Parts: sequence; C-alpha cells; structure tokens
Amino acid sequence: MNWNIDRRTFLRGTAGVALPLPFLNLMTASAKESATQKPPVRFMTLFKPNGVHPPSWNISGGSENDFRMSPLMRPFAKHKDDLLILDNMGNFGFSSHANSTRRFLSGHHRNTKSASVDQLIADKISGDTPHRSLELTTEGLFPNQIGCSYISYDQGGQPMPRESDPQLIFDRLFRSPLSHPRKRQEMASLLDRVRDDAKSLSRKAGHEDRATLDQYLTVVRETEKRLQDMQGRSSSTDFSKLKRPERPANLNEQAESMIDLIALAMWTDSSRCITYMLGNSNSRMIFDFLGIKEQHHYLSHFFRNFSRENLEALLKISRWHMEKFDYLLTRLKSFKDHNGTLLDHSVVLFGSGMGHSDNHTATRIPIILAGQGGGMLKTGRYIRYSQNQQLGQLHLALLQKFGVEPDSFAGSSSALAGLDSSDFTPWQERPFESWVKVEGDQITVQGRLRMSDNLDEAKLFFLDVEGKPAVRIEVNFKDFHNFNIAYHCGTPITISGTGNEQGDRLTITKVKELKSVFGAKPGSAAG
Amino acid sequence: MRVFPAILCLLLTDALSTEASASYETEIKPILQKYCVDCHSGGDEAKGKVDLSTMTSSNFATRFEHWESAIERVKAHEMPPEDSPQPMEEERQRLFKWYHDQLDSVEAHPGFFAPRRLCASEYRKTLRSLFGFDLEVAIIEAEQTVVEKSLVMKLLPTDPPGASGFRNDTHGNPLTTTLWDQYSYLADAGLAELFSQKRRALLEEITGPIPQTGIQLEHAEKLVRSFVPRAFRRNVADEKIARIIKSVAQSDDFEVGVKSELKAVLMSAGFMFRGLLMKGEAGKQQSVDSYELAERLSYFIWGNMPDAELLEAASTRNLSNPDIYAAQIERLIDSPKSINLADDFASQWLTLDQVAKQSVQVPEAEALRSQPIDFMHYLFVEDRPLLELLDSKTAFANPFTAKFYGADSKQMIRYRKQKGIEREIVSNQKISLVQTKNRGGILTMPGILEMNRGPVIRGTWILERILGEELPEPPADVGQIPANPPEKNLTFRERFEMHRSKATCAICHDKIDPLGFSLQWYDGPNYKRNVDVDTTGQLPTGESFENFAGLKQILVTSQSEPVIRNIVERTLSYALCRKLEVFDRPTVDKIVDELVASNGTYRDLVHRVATSLPFQQTVKRN
Repeated sequence: MNWNIDRRTFLRGTAGVALPLPFLNLMTASAKESATQKPPVRFMTLFKPNGVHPPSWNISGGSENDFRMSPLMRPFAKHKDDLLILDNMGNFGFSSHANSTRRFLSGHHRNTKSASVDQLIADKISGDTPHRSLELTTEGLFPNQIGCSYISYDQGGQPMPRESDPQLIFDRLFRSPLSHPRKRQEMASLLDRVRDDAKSLSRKAGHEDRATLDQYLTVVRETEKRLQDMQGRSSSTDFSKLKRPERPANLNEQAESMIDLIALAMWTDSSRCITYMLGNSNSRMIFDFLGIKEQHHYLSHFFRNFSRENLEALLKISRWHMEKFDYLLTRLKSFKDHNGTLLDHSVVLFGSGMGHSDNHTATRIPIILAGQGGGMLKTGRYIRYSQNQQLGQLHLALLQKFGVEPDSFAGSSSALAGLDSSDFTPWQERPFESWVKVEGDQITVQGRLRMSDNLDEAKLFFLDVEGKPAVRIEVNFKDFHNFNIAYHCGTPITISGTGNEQGDRLTITKVKELKSVFGAKPGSAAG
Repeated sequence: MRVFPAILCLLLTDALSTEASASYETEIKPILQKYCVDCHSGGDEAKGKVDLSTMTSSNFATRFEHWESAIERVKAHEMPPEDSPQPMEEERQRLFKWYHDQLDSVEAHPGFFAPRRLCASEYRKTLRSLFGFDLEVAIIEAEQTVVEKSLVMKLLPTDPPGASGFRNDTHGNPLTTTLWDQYSYLADAGLAELFSQKRRALLEEITGPIPQTGIQLEHAEKLVRSFVPRAFRRNVADEKIARIIKSVAQSDDFEVGVKSELKAVLMSAGFMFRGLLMKGEAGKQQSVDSYELAERLSYFIWGNMPDAELLEAASTRNLSNPDIYAAQIERLIDSPKSINLADDFASQWLTLDQVAKQSVQVPEAEALRSQPIDFMHYLFVEDRPLLELLDSKTAFANPFTAKFYGADSKQMIRYRKQKGIEREIVSNQKISLVQTKNRGGILTMPGILEMNRGPVIRGTWILERILGEELPEPPADVGQIPANPPEKNLTFRERFEMHRSKATCAICHDKIDPLGFSLQWYDGPNYKRNVDVDTTGQLPTGESFENFAGLKQILVTSQSEPVIRNIVERTLSYALCRKLEVFDRPTVDKIVDELVASNGTYRDLVHRVATSLPFQQTVKRN
C-alpha cells in the first residue's frame, strides 16, 4: 500500500470526522487509552492582531440563546453550537498595542512578574507529553516593542521564545533526530564512514590536527552511544508517514500549515497547550495575496485613514483572520478523539487585545471560547455581560476549570461567571420601540442598526424592525460619511429619508436625518 | 589561547642568554621591588590583578601582556601613581632598554598551525556557495520585523568571540553533539532542496538533463566530481572519488545513494574544519599549500569558500606568482562578496551589532546600523586611505538619517512612501559632505553616537576600538557622581572630575575623558547641541584641543600611528582567526611602517596582510 498520500489530500479533504488513512496506526494507539481513562483536555489560543472594526464585529442585539452572528463572524458561523461568544470583555479605555497584547493572556499589563494563563495551564495538563507547550507566531519581532510580539510569558514573566516556521515545527514534533529506526540506521552508517575518514587523516596528521580529530571522533562516539540509547526508547507511534509541510508560497499557506500542525500535535498528544499569534500587535504585514498593498496597521486605523477602499481592504484582512479561526475549528473537528472529536476535548480561546482598532479602546474585545473542553464549557451561547469585565476574571475562570486553583489572577479575585451553566448578570438593553412610516417616497424608520452580513457589500446597512423585514440603507458615500452611519451599529436610531419599496422590502437611498434614540453622538474619533 | 604560551617559551628561551637572566636579577628586579611590588603582588589580590613580584626573565613571553602594559604606563608617567615614590630617570631608561632588548630578541614567527571549525557565518556562506542557494526558513517575510531568515544562522548557536575578539576564531569553541545534530539537520535540508523540483534547473547545470525516471549513475557521478572537491576546497584524489562513485553504484536508488555520500562529505572533519587537509611536513616552517592559501584569502575577504577561479589558480599553483596573487586579491575585493569585510569584520571590530539595538523602530534602527557598514564597505572597495575612517568627505544616508547632513542631503534622490505604507526599511545613498563640517568619519555617525551614550562610554570605545588600548575593568567601589553641592552650579563635567580625581581612577580617566568629553557637543536630540559646552581637552601626550574637530585633526596627523596600528592589528587578527602574539609584533611593525610611510589605503592593508609571514606560512607541530 502506498502511504505517501499528499498532505493536502488528507488534511485539506472534505471536512468531517472521517479519518485520513495514514493515521490508522495512530488511531489504534489512541484508542487503547480511551477504554480506561478520560481523554486529556487541551488548551489552545489564537490571537488576532490589531483589534477589530466594531460595526462589523459586534453582535447587534440578541440574547444568550437567540442571537444573530455578526458579519465578521460569518466565516465560522457554522460552528455556532461549539462557540461561547463573550461580549463586554475588557475594562480599559485607550490602550497601547503592547499593553493590550500583554493583557490577552496575562490579565493585566502590569502582571509582568508571573506566567501567562496558558503557561499555568500547561504546567497542569502537559503530563508526560513530549512538548509541554508550543508558542507559535507568524511574523518576526519588533525589538523596540517587545510587548507587541508575545502573548506567552514564563514563570518569571519573561517572554517565551516563539517559532513561525511550519517546517521547523513539523521537524521538532515528528522528526526528532534519531527517533526513527530508519534515521538511526542512516546515522549509524554515516558515523562509520566519517570515522574511517577521520582515522585515516589522523594517521598522517600533526599535533594540532590530531587534537582536532580527537575532538571530532569523541563527538562521533558520543553520537553512536546516543543511537544505542535511543534503540530501547523509541515511540510506539510511527510518524514517518506524515508528510512534511511544503515551503509556504504565501502567508495563507504558512498559517494553514501551522494550524494543521497544531491539530496534529494535539491529536497525536505531542502537546496539549499551544498559543498561536496570527500576527504581532501593531503588525505592518502586507496581505499581498489578498491583493492589498497597504500595511495592516495603517488600515486598522479605519477612521484616521478612512476611505471606502481602505475599509474594504481592512475587512478582507479581518475576514482572513476569521477564516483561520474557522480552519482551526474545522481541523479539530476532523479528528476523531475517543467518543467525539478533538474539539470536544479542547478549549480554544480566540480573540484580540483591543476592541476598537482605530481608537484603541480595550473594551468589547473580541473573545470567543470554542469547544466544550470535555464538558467544562456550555457552548452555543452569546453572553454579553452587564458591565465591562476584567480579562483576568476570564483567565481565573479558565484556570479553575483546568484544575489550577489560584485565589486570584492579575488582580482579579472573582472568576468570570456563566461559562458553564452558572448564573451571570446579562446586559440589559434599554427598551425602545421599533416602527416604520412610509409616506410616498418619504420613509422614516426606528430600529436597531446593523451592517450587512455580506462583507463584500460593507456599504449596506439594515435597520431591524420587530415583526417586519429589515429596512435596507443603501446610500452614497457622502451620506454614509456625513451621518457617520457605521458609528451607530448595534444601537437604536431613527432615520428618515427617501427611498423605494419593492414588495415588502423598503430601501432608503438618501438620508435626510439620523437621530440616535438614546442620544449617542459620534465623537471626533468615532467610527 | 590554548597553545601559545607554551610555544612562546620554546621560542624565546633560546633567544635569551643566561647573561640576560643575570641582568634581570641585578638591574631590573630591584626597580620592581622598590617601586611596584608593594601594590602589585599577591596573585589575584594584586592591584589590577597584575602581580609583578613573580616576573622573571624567563616568563617574559608568557606574561608579555603585563610587561607591555606596565612599560606603557611607566612611560606615560601613569605608574607609579603620583602620590607614590617615583623612579629616577636613569631607572626608567634602564627598564625601557631592557624591555626593548627583550622585544628585539623576538623574531617574527608565523605561529603554529591549528585547524579551526567554520564559524556559523562561514558555514552559512560556504553551504550557500556549495549548493548555489541559501537555506532559508519557511516563513513569509513580514514587514519591518526582525526575523532570522537564514536557516543556518537560526539553528547554529552564535559563536562566542574567540581570544582574538572575532567569531571566526573558533579555537576555543569545540565541536559538540548539539552542533553535530544541527549540522546533520542542515546537511539533510540542503541536500533535500538540491534534489527538489524547485532546484532541478540548478542540479541539471551540473548533471545534465535528468530523465523522468530520476537520477542515473552518470548524473550522480557528475555531481560527485563537482561537489566533493569544492566541499573540501581542494583537489581530491581520484581513488577517493572512485570509491564514492562505487558506493553510489551499489545503492538501489542512485538519488538516495548520492545524497548519503554527499552528506558524509558535509559531516566529515575535512569539510567542517578549515585547514585540516593541508599538506605539509611537520616540524618545519614552510609556506602553506596553495589550497590553504586560497582558502585563507577567501575566508578573510569573503568569509566564504574559494570560488572556481580561485580554486583553479590554487590547483595550478599560480598563487605563488605575486602578480597573479595580487590580481586575485583585487578580484576578491571587487566582488560583491567582499561586503564581508564590512558586515562581518568591521561590524565585529567596531561593535556595530550594538548599534540601535532596542531603542527605535526597525527602519530607523536599520538606518543607523547600515550607515557605518556601507561606509566601511566603501573604504575597502573604493580604496580609501586608512585614516578616512575618522575623517571623510563621504557619507551614506537615507531619509531617516538625512537630517544630520543638512543641505548636503539634497544630493539624495527624493524618497516617496507609497500609500498605506507607514514604515519601511530604505537603503542608503552616497553623498559628499560639502557643507556639513562636523559629521565626516565614523565617530560622529548617529548610530555610533547612539550606541555610546555619555562621555565615559564614548571615550572608552574610542580608546579601545580606534586606538587599540586595552583598559582594565574599573574598580568595584567607584560609587556615584556627586550631586551639585548647595549654592553651586557645577556642570556634569566639573562634578565628574571631582569624582574621578583619585589617582587610581585618573590612570584610565586621564585617557578616556578628553576623548569622551570632546564629543559633548554631539548630545541631545539629533546629536547636536546649540549651547556652549566644554569640549576642550588634553591628551596624555600633552597635545590639547578646543573641540572634537581639533581632536580629530590630532588623531589623523600626529597621533595617526596608533590608529593605523590598531587597524592593522585588528585586520591581521581577523585574517589569521587568532589573537596576535608577541612574535607577531615584527609583522605588525613592518605593515604599520609601510602604511604610515605610504599613507596607505584599505586595499594596501588587505594586500599587506595577505602577503604577511603568518598569513603565508606556518609550522605544523609533530
């Protein structure tokens, strides 16, 4: 049988729980355990750099069990039942890139002397896995802004070295030198060869040459000894049929290869704790493979650098980030793990350091937990807390779930409620009425505003009106800009203007007046 | 350095007669007893850890460094300290004469031959030349972040600088099993890429067209014949090549077979170590063989293995013809690979990797760091006089550094940022300093000023890196610079001078401070001050100056000899990959004299180093 099936065939094949053939040998290994013990719960984080554009990210209205995923959430909407979407997370106003990034896993930016939450969890759950934790990233360092380049910190609060090369990670996970019998045999015959060469040189050599050759032969001998030591300790699972990732041709391939490896590492129980940054905060990555020429950070300031094209480019980038989250979840679901999928026995923390990427506020930070963690989380829900929550509370709750029992974390001493079936205080929206009035081509509507679900038509907005089809707002750039329509997304407004009616669908094409029901006014740095 | 002290004893004991020994006991030792050993005795307890009580005439060579610094200090009236009894002039002269007699008795010697492991950057470049491509990490380059793109540099541990201060001096840095595993990984990675579809055209240049069915024996044979001699940087005996080809022929799959043979070559001592395969008779001073000479030359100038032309010249022994050898030196410097002289040699000599380490955004940091490197490259390639290091009418600037060059920066082609690009690395342009009077030369480049903040650090750097002096560590109890006393408004310099007026401090600070404080104008935003500041100073030689321009004038005229000597010593030490020893002094003296007399250039320097005795000859010990 030919085992050398192309990696893309089995890793990129139709999503689902069907097991790729080359892993049959691994499956039996893991099936052995399942009879007797509970599967391990894994912890992963996926960090999205540079915040979000809130009108496209925030969920408009909705309640715990009845909500509509936002436009940016569309790429992973199919995983709705596996998600616990948290809102009103973060309680800082303006935040620097570095501080907001430090908080993502450390709770508070001043929490600089102790470990980030992933590392504390790794200590607890890694057991005897070969890799206690993996810290992965996409791009290089900002040496002058170290805080932007790391999310994982060790016990002393020092940044954990990160790796961004999927080939090196693959080799580290599955090609550790001498672990495989064939590799050992190759090395053994190589050692014979080079030793003979070195000895024949040594016979003719002078004093200094001999000293050098002695040193060389010592290393050869030590390596032979290491080979012998390895004979007895080889792993029962054979990774030799796993195909090494190709050199990525673009950032997308690099990120997908890395996510493939994250899933494989978890599934093979090579590691149980992995953090992955899709980019540094403050990233100036250019997404040329999406046809974008501007730097990400420039675009993320969507108000300061506002233009229709810039916003469209930013949303394309954000959507790419969301697609990678989807890719990770899909990957995790494609692997069978005991009586369910790998995702069922995992907790994935997805999010960013700041909410609003233009004015750098660190409230309403995107935070989503995915996977039930073997029953520790109750998913399929949207929780918007009554008040802004400290990130440290979330971390404390996760620590407790994973069996680490600190009294407090990063200054937070109460754990975030509601992650399982526990009570929490939900956000109470002030009540308002929604209605539509039509007089000729004059339309006046009151309702909650949201962006179009389709990011390709980001200039389209809808007003949700109870009991009626949503009213479409399709106006020119001047109106969009002058009335700062996007700013009001998620809140009730009264808007009047002219438009048309097709069937029962109303469309406003020209705005005359826009009023916020509760009087929120766009500030100078709004968006 | 492990081997040399013992060797020196051998070398020198013959030269020193019993008469010399007697004169030491009666004429020199009493001077030391009278003026020095009160403080300088007791091993590690001795002042400055210099124990002069154990000096004898026979350990002159092994303790040469202590002799050298002791004599320099006595000459400069720095020792004994002012408040101690001073030797009479006759005693001082007797000491100097004895010292110089000892020195003169040292004959030039090429040093003993020692193979050395390729350092990481040499290994990287050698693999690149051998394979025809650089091994890179599988990462898409992200804008404006620092990432190690070279797989070799990423995986190999950074070489610590050897006794010479340079990383190519790997004598004290042995092969380890960790390194073995990394070399093995890198060899596999290189060979896998060579045989990949991506590199097929490159491979076929060597093997001829490869059919669909894969590598045949004829292709493997062509590859072996091309690869193996280049890897060993010399001709390889026919029998050896035949053995390798036979071995490939016996394998089931020729591609697998030839890969494992080539890996054995890359993992062999002859590839990893430089000089191990050199022919030569033990126990005799002799010219290094022509391949070794070619290799020394290419690793000195390029940090890389010889190319085909240089190997060809070595195989026909043409390198022994001085004209051909000189032409090869010129060719190597003309090649873009000679950037090594700037970005490896000069970068280590002038500690350029410390420039803009953490303080600023990547493009700004790169601007500061690339400026002195481009400048050093220019000095070598355009054959500028040695002293232009300190005083030049040429500079390299980009938009981040343009502000330092006023109207002269208008010579640059204007840079425009594309829409949506906030920050990016921009390359330098060469400009002539016509109106800018105070920025020429390395010492006032913004990166250098940024790296060395404050007069003491600046002065120390100039003393060590430009004038070649080695300073002892400051004593542990230096304390703080006092605050301004009440009712007084003293400048930093005045307060600092109160602080360091103690005799033990003054020994070094008399040398450091005038240099460092001369640069006080280059301080604050943009390294430029608009207020008056005391930049005057007096060198230990007695020469005084008003400001940095005055100091620079002294350094390129009356005090140019130590500057040139330092340049020569650093270059020779880098070229030889070892610390210079007392027996190198005659070689250094000769090169310095020639370059001073001829107002020599950087190309002259390379030629003289490459034709020097220790570069061309060696002694293999039995």
